[in-house]
Amino acid sequence: MLSLIFTSCEDVIQVDLETAEPRLVIDAALNWVQGTDGSSQFIKLSLSAPFFDSEIPPASGASVVVTDAFNNTFNFIEDANTGIYRNNVFTPILNRDYNLTIIYDNETYIATERLMPVVPIEFVEQINDGGFSGEEIEIKAYYTDPKDIENYYLFEFINTSHSIQSLEVYDDEFTDGNQIFAFYSDEELETGNELIIRGLGISERFYEFMNILLQQTDDNSGDPFETQPAAVRGNCINITNPDNYPFGYFRASEVSSFTYIVE
Amino acid sequence: MNKILLWFLFTLLFNIITINAQEKYTLSGTISEEKSNETLIGVNILFPEIQSGTTTNEYGFYSITLPEGTYKTIVSYLGYTTITETIVLSENITKNYALSDATENLDAVIITENIEKLDIQTPQMSVNKLTSTTIKQIPVVLGEADIIKAITLLPGVTTAGEGASGFNVRGGAADQNLILLDEAIIYNSSHLFGFFSVFNPDAIKDLKLYKGGIPARYGGRVASVLDIYQKEGNSKAFKVNGGVGLVSSRLLLEGPLKKDKGSFLLGGRSSYAHLFLPLFDNDNIAYFYDLNTKLSYKVNDRNNIYLSGYFGRDVFRIDDTFENVYGNAVLNFRWNHLFSDKLFSNLSLIYSDYYYDLKLNFVEFDWVSGIQNFNLKYDFKHYLNDKFKLQYGLNSIYYQFNPGDIKPTVESSGINPFKLTDKYAFENAIYVDAEHKISQKLNVSYGLRLSTFHRLGQDELNVYENDQAVVFNEDFKIYEKARPIGTETFKRSDVIAKFANLEPRASVAYQLNETSSVKTSYNRMSQYLHLLSNTNSPTPLDVWTPSGKYVKPQLLDQFAIGYFKNLKNNYYSIEIESFYKTVKNRIDYIDGADLIANNAIEQVILNGKSRAYGAELLFRKNEGRFQGWFAYTISKAEQLTAGRTPQELGINNGNWYRTPFDKTHDISLTCSYDLTNKWKFNANFLYQTGQPATFPNGQYEFNGVIIPSYSNRNADRLPSYNRLDFSATYTPKPTKTKGWQSYWVFGLYNAYNRRNAASISFGQNNVTGANEATRLSIFGIVPSVSYNFKL
Repeated sequence: MLSLIFTSCEDVIQVDLETAEPRLVIDAALNWVQGTDGSSQFIKLSLSAPFFDSEIPPASGASVVVTDAFNNTFNFIEDANTGIYRNNVFTPILNRDYNLTIIYDNETYIATERLMPVVPIEFVEQINDGGFSGEEIEIKAYYTDPKDIENYYLFEFINTSHSIQSLEVYDDEFTDGNQIFAFYSDEELETGNELIIRGLGISERFYEFMNILLQQTDDNSGDPFETQPAAVRGNCINITNPDNYPFGYFRASEVSSFTYIVE
Repeated sequence: MNKILLWFLFTLLFNIITINAQEKYTLSGTISEEKSNETLIGVNILFPEIQSGTTTNEYGFYSITLPEGTYKTIVSYLGYTTITETIVLSENITKNYALSDATENLDAVIITENIEKLDIQTPQMSVNKLTSTTIKQIPVVLGEADIIKAITLLPGVTTAGEGASGFNVRGGAADQNLILLDEAIIYNSSHLFGFFSVFNPDAIKDLKLYKGGIPARYGGRVASVLDIYQKEGNSKAFKVNGGVGLVSSRLLLEGPLKKDKGSFLLGGRSSYAHLFLPLFDNDNIAYFYDLNTKLSYKVNDRNNIYLSGYFGRDVFRIDDTFENVYGNAVLNFRWNHLFSDKLFSNLSLIYSDYYYDLKLNFVEFDWVSGIQNFNLKYDFKHYLNDKFKLQYGLNSIYYQFNPGDIKPTVESSGINPFKLTDKYAFENAIYVDAEHKISQKLNVSYGLRLSTFHRLGQDELNVYENDQAVVFNEDFKIYEKARPIGTETFKRSDVIAKFANLEPRASVAYQLNETSSVKTSYNRMSQYLHLLSNTNSPTPLDVWTPSGKYVKPQLLDQFAIGYFKNLKNNYYSIEIESFYKTVKNRIDYIDGADLIANNAIEQVILNGKSRAYGAELLFRKNEGRFQGWFAYTISKAEQLTAGRTPQELGINNGNWYRTPFDKTHDISLTCSYDLTNKWKFNANFLYQTGQPATFPNGQYEFNGVIIPSYSNRNADRLPSYNRLDFSATYTPKPTKTKGWQSYWVFGLYNAYNRRNAASISFGQNNVTGANEATRLSIFGIVPSVSYNFKL
């Protein structure tokens, strides 16, 4: 009888949407994985597209340069019309400010970000009767938050077996100085899956930015707790034509990486 | 403002003088239901020869002062047998009436509807009244009679949708409704995330919804007043009332404590556990319960005391990972005292409490928050003469807000215990309201409320540079939290911020002829509490916050004008109203604002304004076997949060945007048909313009994730909402008036099984990865049955 009562359901429907003019999307992350020299870096430029399009067009032919205050200049060179710009001689230094300059379609975009340090992932715990349903595999990646300073984290859980990725951001408002965990649980997770867990140090501004982005891409969007969506602006400015602002962000992070095989 | 005040005082004085000039006597008393002694609200006492009259107040009391003489007197109340008699008024008379239910005296089933007869004379406009009988007949989802669902069938009232808490009146937000249960403020009106309301229809006597022209005795919220009175309980005989439905069961006991003197009422309602079981494939529990209690005692002819209580809780648990408990508790002592046969008073002492607990075991986090208040109300109704009635009184509320107490759920947890700073406030008001019959055709009411709000001292109030808790980053064109430059700690007796507002109210009714009138009203109201909510509809997670140094009180101005007509000897009535209102200091939030367990809420709040306007039509058939109403509303509700400086963008680029409850067209048709005395049928139909929503206008890829990009807030709409419901009430033994009496209610909700969208979400297909739009609809066609009994 009760199944009669709640007949709530989801179905895919056709919706006509407006389409905005394309904007440059700056997906620029200088990632320095602990234990490496961090010399290989890439920056991805693309354009925004109509919502139902299956292709995201690359932004080719741009000039991409990263500099610091110590007269170091790193030129990023595009891989043949892919929108991916690479530099293999980068020398990362923690807590140093980096400047990004992009010239694309005769407009100049700039951004500045500090390379944020991160503490290592110490160990990973697996629970098999966890998650929201009580039947999911639950993964906790433990780290110890440095005391008395504000820290912000981005965690990437990459299931290489299913090539799916999950992102979470954390602050330390209620966990300052403690050993704490990043949490991940997914129905798709199975014994034998390889999971790459990456903890990244991020700035407060990037935390706020990513927090909004993730709210707007929540798989469970449409729930009553959903907040009002809006255009999300990052830290990149179009100095030629400020109204034609870009999407995306220029971030610089130290990365602690941990590979875990699901038991 | 001073002119209004002067005029007001002058007319007051004038009236007091005139009453002393003639030889007059007072007729007063209480009117109740014959079998139970339950007092009746809004009974008409008419003196047709002099075209004068009065009505009983919320406690069943009436009083009228007339020149010496002999009068034909008619005591009438819809659904009850009318009493006609002659009264010789040569001294002050106390006369109590007991009315008997008309259905029990008539063989055929006719004229028993309780829809309030349209009163074209009174200046009060924009008010709708429903009795619990009407509410119980309206078909609702799952067969649970529901007050909030019933009032959304009235013009000017909408909900944000199925599964959304609260209701919206004339473009106002859900937190702008003052909801009073026996004079106590209820903070959350919903059970189970809005599927049901917290009011047990068996325990309710009467409700009134004020949408405009709100009298000065009400204050503290800007959109509407929902004034609900519970039954006192039968002081003649012990009675049991109950029902068994698909979702919940309820039982109400009432009876005399001392015959004709004292009575008790005890009502309980509980849903069955595991309500949401089929929604998720795991162990979960979702249920609610509430308890209504009331003790009434008539000390003597001049004094009545009432002690009433309400306690309700919702419990929602998924496995051991998630647990959510919330609800209201109210304890209320009231004392009715007659200073004289012209001066009625009620003193209320109310404690009320809203409790909220969220436990997330998987992140080892327990968050408890709440709001407590002590409320003192002293209200006087002064029946000076047949042309002039005064109401005046005072109201003091002391609030304590607990925005959150965070605790780890296990000892080894990485969560540090954290207490968000408690906040304290003191709200006071004095008011005076006059109802003044200037001539046979012209009736006016005017009043003034002076409200003050003192935000009291607290620990560690953040201090910001230039008092700006939110800063605009001009490079990135985004709002960001300001960094406090220090904190200030106050003594509890200190005043951090204070506000005072003068709230004039006025209504005028001009009778065009025997059957029609025009009315107009203006009211200003202020609201000092704000519900922090940046979701599409309020949720139980939302926390109330008081006005203070960084948050200003909301101020409303509303104008309304209307035309009212009774047709065919009151068989039909038409009400047409138009309103315009503006609210200053309506808060909005910076993008991505996290409102849960936020100790510096001022850092994410922006100050905006809102406006709404529209027209409403209500056509009713009040008598006969076929009864019902048709309501149509056309309206617009918008909000604006502009930048504080020309450089700032504001919200939505500083442009007006639709509020989530802006429904251009709202049509409802409610009707009932008495086929035989055993079978009664009801149907209602609803059509509403789709709820505003924000759809993406593009997509992009960032950090390996596909991001939908959005532009203007609420520029799109969900598809229109429409639905048809039926119900049938079957009374097997309609003539039985003693012993076990019962009736069945069969319902069919959403009869043509429309998939009304509660939301449309935009994301990627799990398998193909392609972007798609997904519609969530809550209820398809839902049949229901409930069994109800009394003895």
